[in-house]
This record gives sequence, structure tokens and C-alpha cells, in this order.
Amino acid sequence: MALLKIKGLTKRFGGLTALSELNLEVVEGSIHGLIGPNGAGKTTVLNVVTGFSPPTAGIVTFHEQDITGKRPHEVARLGLVRTFQQATLFHSFTVLVNVIVGCHLHSQIGFLEALLNTPSHQRKERAIQEKCLGILKFLGLEGQAQELAANLPHGHQRALGLAIALASEPRLLLLDEPVTGMNPEETARMMELIQRVRQIGVTILLVEHDMKAVMGLCDSITVLNFGRKIAEGSPQEVREDPVVIEAYLGTGGHAA
Amino acid sequence: MGEFGRGIWEGLRLIFGGDAEVWRIVLLSLWVSGMALLFSMLSGIPLGAWIALSRFPGRRLLIAMVYTGMGLPPVVVGLFVYLMLSRSGPAGILGWLFTPWAMMLAQAIIAFPLVMGLTLSAVKGINPRLRPQLVSLGATPRQATLTLLKEARMGVIVAVIAGMGGIISEVGAVMMVGGNIEGHTRVMTTAIVLETRQGQYSHAIALSFILLSIAFVLNLALLRLQGRSLD
Ligand SMILES: Nc1ncnc2c1ncn2[C@@H]1O[C@H](COP(=O)(O)OP(=O)(O)OP(=O)(O)O)[C@@H](O)[C@H]1O
Ligand SMILES: [Mg+2]
Repeated sequence: MALLKIKGLTKRFGGLTALSELNLEVVEGSIHGLIGPNGAGKTTVLNVVTGFSPPTAGIVTFHEQDITGKRPHEVARLGLVRTFQQATLFHSFTVLVNVIVGCHLHSQIGFLEALLNTPSHQRKERAIQEKCLGILKFLGLEGQAQELAANLPHGHQRALGLAIALASEPRLLLLDEPVTGMNPEETARMMELIQRVRQIGVTILLVEHDMKAVMGLCDSITVLNFGRKIAEGSPQEVREDPVVIEAYLGTGGHAA
Repeated sequence: MGEFGRGIWEGLRLIFGGDAEVWRIVLLSLWVSGMALLFSMLSGIPLGAWIALSRFPGRRLLIAMVYTGMGLPPVVVGLFVYLMLSRSGPAGILGWLFTPWAMMLAQAIIAFPLVMGLTLSAVKGINPRLRPQLVSLGATPRQATLTLLKEARMGVIVAVIAGMGGIISEVGAVMMVGGNIEGHTRVMTTAIVLETRQGQYSHAIALSFILLSIAFVLNLALLRLQGRSLD
């Protein structure tokens, strides 16, 4: 079943058509790749789907619900959560508190309750802390729980970004270039983490330039060029598609 | 030396002997400066955060004005508040001149740009990508702003300390608009000025000790806060 459906999506910036009548479906439980040369419109898809940027035309539905034009935090609260190209963390907090902050955005803790630190509040806080430690453990970060986020190596910071996203209990994760700028070791580690996240039932839409990562992870792939879909299918099909090869060669890029 | 030593001894006796006049002055000072600080925090922290996080025409000019306001000379504020509240002034009808209300107003005006300006620069220093990431995680605009303030908490605490420091030890404005009336608008700083002028060193020394201790304790309390995460 398609968890996310994009129908006839068009986005214009003045005279520039960044997306043109795009149709795209992400099947529940899958890892779906979205690739294309620089400026193809990948980030624009994410911006429109998550409500950061209104579409010129088209409809986006999530779990059969029309979410076109909803505001970003409303979209997120439905379970559609996005991470950004650059890791963005609270540098002044510990790793654990970073995840807790993500949790708090969804917990039902009242201001007064927190201020008075009532027994029921303490119970909730303990439960949240347990949950967040569980997430860190799941992503292999439990050893760093008490370190300042600013002191983590790059690869771990990106993993922490994933942990913070998981704290908001997403059904669909939109990952924008999660392995860009990583060395091969870090890339392999992050790929494994993404697999693990999928195994607990989170669907993933992956935007990425690293072909090895995309081909290794994705069940299906959509290829964009100049805002249009030029190919779609399994990694195998896409890799051998002459139109795709042409598009990447044409821009000096490299399809593996 | 004799006079100095005697003054200190007398001062300590006044503090620990619970001299009613000394303690009334201290409590009034805390009440006036505390309320002024509270008001400047309630307005300055959200406004500073808002200016830091939003984009609108004239923002740079506004920021320049806020930073200029951080250096307002207290006597100039005193003069302004005096003219506003004097019987023929635009707010003269309130009848606030030479009351604690006038002093609170003047001190709030002094502390407000300090609190706002330092909050502004603290929040402005946060990674600009943090806000969209928070919103993408489901934070409402209000939640996102509050969470950003947590990341900037050190800077906000410094803003509050600077605001308190700027007014608890301030003398010019409270003197002008409060009038240093015994039992009514006499606060620590104005009392110290008066007692010293009259040669009553023991009272002045006692009050100086208390003023120093209050500043010390406040700073300590606020600094401890930064250790604790504010969630
Ligand atoms: N806010 C904007 N205003 C004007 N043009 C924009 C805006 N955002 C994107 N564009 C244009 O839309 C096109 C698609 O951009 P987009 O960022 O979606 O590409 P991308 O596929 O994510 O590229 P990259 O691989 O470099 O991240 C580009 O030509 C870009 O210049
Ligand atoms: Mg992009």
C-alpha cells in the first residue's frame, strides 16, 4: 500500500519550473530512493511534501489523508518527519538531552506540571528518559549519552540526528543526503542504521547522491531531471536505463 | 582608621541586630529592582528572541537601536521619566512621581534594552538551521522558539544578570524620580549617598555590605541555573 502519494505536483519559482507534474508513490515499509543530478528538484519535493513551500499545483496524500498546504509541524505530527542535509543539533546539550528535546515536542507535559515537578511529572520524565536511552542504544550511541553533542565526531552527529528524528515516532522518514560528506566507513555504518530503522517499521524516502548507498539500500528508485521524472524502478532497472545514464553523463555526474 | 573600623563594626551590628530602618530600605530596593527586572524579562526576552528569529524591513535599524539602548545613562532615563510623570507631563495624572512606581518604571526602562539586547545576540548566534529542523520534528512555532531559547540559555541568563546588575546598583534615576524620601522611596543606593554625605558611615557601610551580598547571591543563583538544563 502506498503510504505517501504525490499526484501531479508542480512547483514554479517565478519563471523556473522546479517540479513538473510529478507523480510518486512510496510503499509502506519500503526504502524509496529519490535521485537526480544537481538542481533536479529533489529537495524541492521534500520542501513541498513537508509543507515548507506551497505547491503551484498537485496533491500530496499521506495515509489517505490530503496534506497539501498543511503547515510543517502539522505534517510532522501526522508522522512524516524530515531530516536536513546538514546535521542540526543542540551543541550545548548532551547527546541524551538532544533526544529528550525531540521527545518533549510530543509529550503531554504541561508547563505548570513541569514547574512544580509533581510526582506524575517525574514519572513521565523517567519514562521519556528510558525511551530516549532505548533509541540511543538502538543506534549504538548509548556509550556517548552523556557527552556534549558538539564533541561528537561527524558520523556520530549524523546518527544522533537520526535518533532525534526517531524520538518523534515517525511513520515516514524523509532523509536528505544522510551520507553526504562521510568517509566510506561512516557511510557503511549509516547505511546499516537506515536498514535497522526500516526493520522497525519506519518507511523511508531517501534523497542521496552517493550511488553506492542508494543502490545498496533502496527497494525502488525514482530519478528526476529538470523537475521531471525520467525513470523509476528497482535499483537494477534504473542503473541500466539509458535515459538515466544519459542524464548523469550529460551533467558530468556518475551513475554507478 | 578608627572611624573606618568603627563604621564596619557598627554596620555589622545594624545588619545582624535587625535594624528596622536598614531592613526596610533593603526590602524596598529588592521590591523595586525585582519588579523592574521581572517586567524587563517578560518583555525583553520574548522581544529579543522575536527580533533575532524574524525577518522584516528595518530589522537592522531596530537592532542598532536596541544595542544603543543598552548603554542608556540612568540619569537620562531618570530625566525622561521625571518629565513624563511630572504634574504637567503626559502621564502626570497617574500621580506616580516620588513613589516606588516611578522608580520601578525608570529601572525597567534601564534594564529592558539590556535584557532584550543580550537575549537578541544570544538567540541570533544559534545555528539558523535549528528552527526548521525543530518544526520538521513537529514543534509548533511557539515550541520551536522556547526550545531555541533553551539552546541559548547561557546567553539569556547573562542577559538577566546584566539587567539586575544594571539596576540594583543604579542611583541616578531612582534619586531623580523617587526623591529618596525616608520610609517611602529610600533605597540602598540613595541611602548610601545620603548617609555618606551626612557622615553616617555605619549606615552606609551596612547597606554597602548588603548590596554587595545581594549582588553576589543573585549572580551565584543564576550561574547555578546554567548547570541545570532548563527542561
Ligand atoms: N526558493 C527557491 N527560489 C528559486 N529557485 C529555487 C528555490 N529553491 C530551489 N530552486 C531551484 O529549483 C531547482 C531545483 O532545486 P533543488 O534544490 O530542489 O534541487 P536538488 O535536486 O535538491 O539539487 P541538489 O542535488 O544540488 O541538492 C534548482 O534550479 C534551484 O535553483
Ligand atoms: Mg538538495
